[in-house]
Amino acid sequence: MRVAMLGGFALVAFLVLFFRLWSLQILSPDEYRAAALDNQLRTVSIEAPRGPVLDRDGRILVRNVASTAVVVWPASLPQGNGRDTEVRELARILDMPFPRLRALIRAHPNDPVTPVTLKVAVRPDVVAYLYEHESEFPGVQVKQAYLRYYPGDTLFAQGLGYVGEISAAQLEEMRKDGYRPGDRIGQSGVEASFDQWLRGTEGMAELRVDSLGRPKSPLALTQAPRPGYAIRLTIDASLQRAAEKALRYGIALAHRNDEWAADGGSIVALDPNTGDVLAMASNPTYRPSVYRNRSGKELAPLLDAKAAQQENYPALNRATAAIYPPGSTFKPVTALAALQEHIVSSGTYLPCTGSYTVQGVTGAGQTFRNWDPNVNQPMGMVEAIAASCDTYFYRVGHAFYSLPPERGHPLQEWASRFGIGGATGIDLAPEARGILPTPGWREATYTRKTDPCCWREDRLWKPGDSIQLAIGQKDIAVSPLQMARFYALIANGGRLVTPHVVSRVEEAGGENAASSVVHSFQPPPAEGSGVDPSAIAVIKQALYDATHASYGTSSSVFGNFPIPVAGKTGTAEKIVQLPGYPNGLLEDQSWWCGYAPANRPEITLCAVIENGGHGGSAAAPAALKVFEHFFRVKAPKIGAIHSD
Amino acid sequence: MTQYIDTITSPRRRRRQAPFARGGESPLLARLDWVLLFAVCGLVAYGLWAIAGITRHDVAGNESYFLVRQAVFAAAGLVLMVGAIFVDPQWYRRSKFLLYVLMIGLMVLVAFVGTVSRGSRRWIDVSFFRFQPSEFAKVLFVLTIAAFLADRARRVEELRTPLLAIALAVPPVLLVMLQPDLGSGLVYIAALTACLFVVGVRWLHLALFGAVAVVLAASVLWLLPATGIDVLKPYQVARLTGFTNPDEDPRGTTYNVRQAITAVGSGGFSGRGVQGATQTRLDYLPEHATDFAFASLSEQRGFVGAAVLMLLYLLVVWRGFKIVTLARDPYSAIVAAGLVFALIFQVFVNIGMTMGVAPVTGITLPFVSVGGSSLVANLVAIGVLEAICVHSRGRS
Repeated sequence: MRVAMLGGFALVAFLVLFFRLWSLQILSPDEYRAAALDNQLRTVSIEAPRGPVLDRDGRILVRNVASTAVVVWPASLPQGNGRDTEVRELARILDMPFPRLRALIRAHPNDPVTPVTLKVAVRPDVVAYLYEHESEFPGVQVKQAYLRYYPGDTLFAQGLGYVGEISAAQLEEMRKDGYRPGDRIGQSGVEASFDQWLRGTEGMAELRVDSLGRPKSPLALTQAPRPGYAIRLTIDASLQRAAEKALRYGIALAHRNDEWAADGGSIVALDPNTGDVLAMASNPTYRPSVYRNRSGKELAPLLDAKAAQQENYPALNRATAAIYPPGSTFKPVTALAALQEHIVSSGTYLPCTGSYTVQGVTGAGQTFRNWDPNVNQPMGMVEAIAASCDTYFYRVGHAFYSLPPERGHPLQEWASRFGIGGATGIDLAPEARGILPTPGWREATYTRKTDPCCWREDRLWKPGDSIQLAIGQKDIAVSPLQMARFYALIANGGRLVTPHVVSRVEEAGGENAASSVVHSFQPPPAEGSGVDPSAIAVIKQALYDATHASYGTSSSVFGNFPIPVAGKTGTAEKIVQLPGYPNGLLEDQSWWCGYAPANRPEITLCAVIENGGHGGSAAAPAALKVFEHFFRVKAPKIGAIHSD
Repeated sequence: MTQYIDTITSPRRRRRQAPFARGGESPLLARLDWVLLFAVCGLVAYGLWAIAGITRHDVAGNESYFLVRQAVFAAAGLVLMVGAIFVDPQWYRRSKFLLYVLMIGLMVLVAFVGTVSRGSRRWIDVSFFRFQPSEFAKVLFVLTIAAFLADRARRVEELRTPLLAIALAVPPVLLVMLQPDLGSGLVYIAALTACLFVVGVRWLHLALFGAVAVVLAASVLWLLPATGIDVLKPYQVARLTGFTNPDEDPRGTTYNVRQAITAVGSGGFSGRGVQGATQTRLDYLPEHATDFAFASLSEQRGFVGAAVLMLLYLLVVWRGFKIVTLARDPYSAIVAAGLVFALIFQVFVNIGMTMGVAPVTGITLPFVSVGGSSLVANLVAIGVLEAICVHSRGRS
């Protein structure tokens, strides 16, 4: 009896099991099949090859090369001590410091399912080792990655910018645009400004993994990545190379003239009619490829403020983001304003003397010197610009100062219309606006807080401010690009162009197919500045004389050049911080701005050599090298230089 | 009714009884329960086939590593089973004291020289394999407890008898639970319950023990932890209670069960095959060669494969009960009932836990799970059952 009950109990138990088995396997197997698939399929994103960057003739400035990257899936790493052991071992193999690796993995604590890229461009022997010892490294994956390759090495480095992993702060801001953790994005220059076009769309693939996250199947593509578009620049790679070489030549020249502190500079070349940036050089420079290697020593000057200072800021694009007093290259601005405001006419003669003394606000006389103390003759505007007479412009500046209050501040107003002290609108970040000093600016800048001792006096706009502004000195600061834009305005007869480095977005064609234009960037049409064509004509004449007349400050450089060049030298005094001079040192910033051919300008150029001495002795010869390349003509030997 | 069963015998049985009626004993082979023997051999063979598929991807470069080992143990187990057939069950009854001391001795030995693996001390390393005494102790446990109960069969109505039997059972159960091996402990308790039940302990007493067991279980699982005394390890409590609420913590304690249910369910009617069974092949299903072998088998061979296994078990259980009823004396009957019920309990809890209807306790699937001790001990148990059968048919 009891045995029968036990038997019945057993039968019921088996029936329970049987029905459960039936319900799981016969009634709802699909649900569990799906769960099983879900378990083992991991969706991974396939990096889209980033688009190339081409120069105006289609020459490649940046492209991709395939490489390998080591990534880890934080969720699949062992827990506890095992994790540290594994990461330590990885650090040894990848030759990276352990704390840095750990920091990388910990950087995304809230996102354990996004793989963290530890290192790209991993050596083949390291890859082979990782494959062989796969079982010892759960959660570690070797995958294909694209690396930026720069055929021109340092060519246009600051302009191109670099690519790096998206930072937490950037992610916060850009998540809505579809950016995701671990994305590699443009961090500066064209790479950053045109990232949306360059990055393409990542593809999706499925991968079978085991419970430890180790891949067990090849990737199966579910959505092919769309490669990024190509960006066509206005830059002429060959002219860019020439400009960079000319810049180094200008700096070397300055050193030869005992300007020991000459160490940086910039050259900008624009098409004066369209605003196309033809070349944009900045020195010192760097290799953008160092970002992919992540080698600490080479990267330090780019990431670490102190190291950057030691190397004189190689990552800084001096053409757009560095500002200098323009010195005499500013005189055409003053001249145009003076002509427009009828302060002087082109026929007005003012004495050009060795110095100029005015009654200061305190009553004491203040003397401003001419760069050439031995001059003493009346000059018209054309000659004053060509010979770069400071005292002529001191007088004009003083006249501006002496205008009745209801006339406002026309010098600054015209300068502003010419783009001084404002953004140029270039499609490349970052851009410095510079400083166009006005009485309002002085008042806002010198306050009790910023200048406790002397703010009451310093906030006033004094005659010296107008006088020095007239020759581009004291507080005024401009970027080389701003100045180039102004000279383009002179060259094209008074229109203010918007400089730009990108002309269009293209989709690469196949083997033989031509690439098609996806999007064409039309810069805003050049605006008229309201300047009188006759005034421009006067300045053009003056700039031509400056390079050709016997008294022209860069005649010895450009006078015998087969193509007629017009342009102005500048020697801007600036207090610079140099090692060994804790209080700074007053150094000459060597400028030259101009265009060619003088009658029908095709190229506008501005060159700055930091601490390079006189404009005619460093910047002008550097500019000449660029013209030589642009016009494919050899310049005769440069004669003795007599310039400011 | 009883009379009817006694008087009407099947023609086959009458045939078997015929030589014996002539005065001599029929040959041993004739008295064996061949159905049970074939069913068990079928189980072992089916288990080996299942293991071949389940463990194919477990050892890189050696697809049949576990299969070969398991086959060696199966062969050894079959030899020992045959040996056990020749042992008169009465010998166990006479040697009950020796067997009890042997059982306790083995378990104490484990506590001292045992190998710790995954947090519990269950094994004794013997050169090439790991000897797990708790598996063999299952058989010894039934043999000794049954001997005690059979000796006091006439006083089974007294409360004293079952209480003493329980007292005898406590040391081995405690020792095995301390290893800790909760699953084996529960199997012992199940076997003890069956023995008490079959020997004829009064319903009232059984109800009393049942009530005490419920109170004990409740206090161990809920009341005592609530007051800060942990009898079981927290993971054990979580496993025992986790099956009532599998969605509670999918990454944690119920991970195994979820993966096992997914494996079983994904098998469907005809299974996913060895290559397609990703739960097993990609290691999502933990312990798929041992505790969760049924889930793995279901995933690979589907409803058909799992049902065949369960029918083989049912066949064994049916023949087992048959032997219980055939047993010539109370001792044999109690032993047979204890062994059969222990087998049912293991099958039910193991298969049940892979499908979420029983708690996860780390009980192996008899004759299938990889593990030499379990396989050999279960085959020896079948040998004892066969011996009971042989000796029951030997004399009327």
